[in-house]
Amino acid sequence: MPRSMLVLCCFCVVRILLPTTVVAQTSVNPDISVIPRFLIHSDDGQKLNEGKREFSRPDFSFEELELALQAYLNPFAKADVVLTLPGPDLENSKLGIEEVYATVLRGLPLDMNLRIGKYRAEFGKLNMTHPHAWPFVTAPLMQKRFLGESLNDLGISASVLLPTEDVYTKLTVDLLRGTAIGGATGMVDTTGAKPYYANTARLSSFFTLSDYSDLEIGLSGYTGIHDPYHRDRFWYGNLDFKYKIRPSAYTSLVIQGEYLLNTRTVHLEDEKSISSSGFYLYADYQFFKTYSIGARVDWSESPYSADDKASGFALFAGYYPVEETLGLRAQYARTTTELPGFTQSVNSIDLQILFSLGPHKAHPF
Amino acid sequence: MKWVLAFIILAMAGVSEAAIKVVTSLPDLADLARQVGGDKVSVDYIVRADQNPHFVEVKPSYMMKLKSADLFLTIGMELEMWAPQIVDGSRNASLTVVDLSQGVTKLEVPAKVDASQGDVHRFGNPHYWLDPRNVRPMMDEIVSALTKVSPADEKTFRANADAYLLRLGVKIQGWEAMMKPFAGQKIVTFHKSWSYFANWLGLDIAGEVEPKPGIAPSPTHSAELIALVRSAGIKAILVEPFYDLSAPEQIARATGAKVTVLPTSSGGLDQTRDYISLIDYDVATLASSLKQ
Repeated sequence: MPRSMLVLCCFCVVRILLPTTVVAQTSVNPDISVIPRFLIHSDDGQKLNEGKREFSRPDFSFEELELALQAYLNPFAKADVVLTLPGPDLENSKLGIEEVYATVLRGLPLDMNLRIGKYRAEFGKLNMTHPHAWPFVTAPLMQKRFLGESLNDLGISASVLLPTEDVYTKLTVDLLRGTAIGGATGMVDTTGAKPYYANTARLSSFFTLSDYSDLEIGLSGYTGIHDPYHRDRFWYGNLDFKYKIRPSAYTSLVIQGEYLLNTRTVHLEDEKSISSSGFYLYADYQFFKTYSIGARVDWSESPYSADDKASGFALFAGYYPVEETLGLRAQYARTTTELPGFTQSVNSIDLQILFSLGPHKAHPF
Repeated sequence: MKWVLAFIILAMAGVSEAAIKVVTSLPDLADLARQVGGDKVSVDYIVRADQNPHFVEVKPSYMMKLKSADLFLTIGMELEMWAPQIVDGSRNASLTVVDLSQGVTKLEVPAKVDASQGDVHRFGNPHYWLDPRNVRPMMDEIVSALTKVSPADEKTFRANADAYLLRLGVKIQGWEAMMKPFAGQKIVTFHKSWSYFANWLGLDIAGEVEPKPGIAPSPTHSAELIALVRSAGIKAILVEPFYDLSAPEQIARATGAKVTVLPTSSGGLDQTRDYISLIDYDVATLASSLKQ
């Protein structure tokens, strides 16, 4: 670990712990929320090997349960813990840690925020959003192929607001343990060596276009070692945007997209460099406050081959009858996988049911 | 030398303009802060009059408003559930958040708080600013907060507040006189925004269009309300500008009651440019509806 980051880390820990010597007791519980998701799924790809294209019997399964705890540690810092119980096998599923981190919110030079722990890194826009808050049911192909479920790693994050007058411009830099990329690309480190540190950074600006519409644009980078044996490095560059117009409390339109560019060195028979990319773009229209409809287009190559392509589109609808304490989402998706000499399309239908116990916080943009 | 003098004059002008930066959640609080602070404050607010103050998206632009502010004046009582995220996002370590509800007598403090009651506020109904008699304790809090930032101006702040309260007192007498003929009359409101307003004017809220606070109107509840409006001879259904009018209009069509759109915050209409003109407008509009 670089010496400067070690100093920063120590400072962060001291900042979190120091005031607890003053605040000796507290009788305030953290905010606790529980969000389980269930899924009914059917697709027509399960018997394609047998030459049959027919929709499978709808399978009702437990998708995931998130248990989130959040509280201020002291006047300067707060902590978040998100535990997850993944489905579908409820009997053998184990509660895991999705996120656990402390954030120093105030009191640091340059009004810096520091975060330490395990968390979803600020890379792109969708990565920071938990799946229960997505308007669609399944992750975009680009996200799945290049980041796995999410870019979620142990690390230290520092962010500052840049002096850009009234425009909110934030720069976030992360030093990550470097294990997340293995989960994303299926690479398993058999060397037993410690992982190599990875870095992410995101520069984002928020523009108020009118009283009713806003635009956020972000530029992210992510680099690390994806093959510890050969010490092969990868570089991700990502451009994201989110536009939202909300003319009334009952209606809104969100258009969001991301484009990711990947470059990496790989050792197959000999060393070579691979470049590939992916993108998604979606629109989600909310009406009568409780309904939403939307569409998403997807295209992505593989991190390891520009010849391995996947493309698709999804149509989705949501119904949130009582302030998002209960949600129903339906999605139809068609995904086409293309390899040299092989093309296959699968249609899938999903119905997701979720509910939310506990405090319902305001949505971040 | 001339340049030095010019610089000093400009710097002094800058100092005199270095007003206390106040941001408020609602435009009404911004008006009150201006009345107290005068030219010693610069004031901005977050929630527009056409926005529901309960539900505000956490936008970075709001964080920027608070970034360099000295004071953030809030209604409190968990009306602004979104405020902590914006305060945290502002990264302003010297920001003081002021809860103006401290000296207010609270109404509808629930014995039990859970989601089965709808969006119930555990510290009571937070819409107290719609009773102008509550402006006095609110102004006391504002004077106190501004004085902490600028102790030398305490007398000015107190004098400004007293002068405003004197003007408001006269207006209150006028509003009460205008509404006296309607004392005891029943009304229906969309949300529980008007409890303090009705309590002040002696009006009886017979029911709400929402079955429970924050819960969307249902056909069954609307049918019950239609029966109630008919049997009680209710003439007015009060609706805030940010709510959907379809359910109130359906009830009005079935009963002959009048849907009366009343803003809860100033700034949304030409006639409601500040707090006094807001209450002026609301009282006059409601009186007109009740006269029919």
